[in-house]
Amino acid sequence: MQEIVRAEGLRKTFTLSKKQQKIERTGETRRVAVDGLSFSAYRGEIYGLLGPNGAGKTTTLRMLSTLIKPDAGDAFLAGHSAVKEPGKVRDVIGFMTSELKLEGFFTPAYLFDFFGAMHGVEKDVLAARKRDLFARFGIDKFSEVQVKNLSTGMLQKVSLVISIVHDPEVVIFDEPTNGLDVLTAKVVTDFLLELKGMGKSILLSTHIFSLVEKLCDRVGIIIDGKLAAGGTLEEVAKGDLESAFFEIYRGAKGEIA
Amino acid sequence: MKLVSLMKKEFHRFFHDPRLIVTMLLPGILIFLLYTFIGEISHSDEKRAFKVYLSGNSAAVGIIEQAITEDGSEVEWLPVEDEEAARAAVEEGEATAILTFTENFDLFGEDARAGIVYDSASEDGVYFYSLASSVLIGVGMRFPIDVETVKEDAVAMTEFLSVLLPMLIVCFIFSACMSVTLESVAGEKERGTLSTILVTSAKRSDIALGKILPLSCISMLGAVSSFIGVALSMPKLMGVSLGTLGGYPVWSYFLILLLILSIVPGIVALISTVSALSRSVKEASAYTSVLMILVMVVSIVTGVLPMMGDWACAIPVLGAVIAMQKVLAGGLFLWQSFLAVGVNLLFTALLVVIMTKLLSSERIMFGK
Repeated sequence: MQEIVRAEGLRKTFTLSKKQQKIERTGETRRVAVDGLSFSAYRGEIYGLLGPNGAGKTTTLRMLSTLIKPDAGDAFLAGHSAVKEPGKVRDVIGFMTSELKLEGFFTPAYLFDFFGAMHGVEKDVLAARKRDLFARFGIDKFSEVQVKNLSTGMLQKVSLVISIVHDPEVVIFDEPTNGLDVLTAKVVTDFLLELKGMGKSILLSTHIFSLVEKLCDRVGIIIDGKLAAGGTLEEVAKGDLESAFFEIYRGAKGEIA
Repeated sequence: MKLVSLMKKEFHRFFHDPRLIVTMLLPGILIFLLYTFIGEISHSDEKRAFKVYLSGNSAAVGIIEQAITEDGSEVEWLPVEDEEAARAAVEEGEATAILTFTENFDLFGEDARAGIVYDSASEDGVYFYSLASSVLIGVGMRFPIDVETVKEDAVAMTEFLSVLLPMLIVCFIFSACMSVTLESVAGEKERGTLSTILVTSAKRSDIALGKILPLSCISMLGAVSSFIGVALSMPKLMGVSLGTLGGYPVWSYFLILLLILSIVPGIVALISTVSALSRSVKEASAYTSVLMILVMVVSIVTGVLPMMGDWACAIPVLGAVIAMQKVLAGGLFLWQSFLAVGVNLLFTALLVVIMTKLLSSERIMFGK
């Protein structure tokens, strides 16, 4: 097994605003979002970061994708340091989150070419890749339709395809099916399996047990910014992921309120 | 390469969206229609009767008379028998102006000169002055016209325009910049589409320039549209012809154009920076409106305050307004204009650097 992603002691704290302190009825001014997180993901596998809301999953993926800098620690993606070589890391990853949107005015074809240029993909390579990916995911018939006029499922497909325009080695998805209806969610899970079939390494975050069971080869359970458990799905789940998760959760935080 | 793609995207967005083009050009059209309408109401069917003292003669006199009589007004030419009495008549409003030509003026000899004495506080006086100066320029007058106003304390029309016009231009530039920049920077940040670009390996400086450069070019169109709207409607609004402005030599236009060109990227960069700092278009719009009002107020204040020295031209954006006011008030304020242009370019460059930093800031771009 070849290591493709390695997180080493990642730590990230945020300043709490006065408003946030009031809402949470706390006097603390800083909040630890990720606390010394370390894990490894391997080439050609799907690795899932599983945890409740606020556990630090999104912050971890943002550090891996170089959108934010860790206060301490580092992450290495395809051998590149997220802290020291953010540009190189961005070239080898595809990052997708529900917070990243496409401009509704443009067409899928235009956006594919634009983001291809943003990643420095050669024109002829880009054209061939567009033909291939658009045909594979059924976007070709809608390639000249403005994004704002696409169905939710097709829009999701376009977003996913554009995130891999530059043929990245690692694909990072933050909560890939969050807020999606069942049909669109299936588009996403099928897409992830298709990517795995193409030999891509995938890192995703989620709080949905079934998604992990369906897709992931390895899983890391993250609670309060720390890795509470990690390993292959069989090692962690021991037959029932949901029960295993709550057992780990109780072990880390006590009884669930 | 990435910068070119980023710029192309902004141009594509603008030039393929008829609504944005209309939004950009509409202020100019509306200004023209509105000012023309106001002008038509206030100056409709106005027939004037001019009494002008004439000293010397020129073929231009016939053309001036023709221009006056064409729209139903009349002119009576009076010989100058006593210069003092003629000046007193203009001052008291009994006569419109004194028009003087040196001997053999039409031969364009070295000593050929024309002079106009009028009352700048009188509407008829200003009308005649603007018309006469336009004709003199039109017939190939290569010499400066000796212009004299009889009341020193009256605000001359040129002086009025020199204060008003730069303020209007800046106001229109601001409006033009706001309509595209807020949507492109604050809008993209609010919708999350800017973050999608930040995830790519494009440099933050390219992303900043990829916004500011094309948006400046686009805003320039809006500013020019508004400027043309003002220029075309001014004669109707003021009841004066643009001869008042036409009296300026070519280099004045060049300097004014240069100053306008230098203001646009500065304002675009300023609005882009404010937009990057804001969480929504609404928030950015509120901050930008405050900035616009501030610049407008200070533009008027600097225009009417005589104590503003040449040093004021070194203030970003405002310096160009002051330089424009100086140029329009008459005179070759070359170094002041170039200073204002240089400061604006430096100001833009500084804001590009700040914008780059903001795009790299996780707190600004991804903070809640």
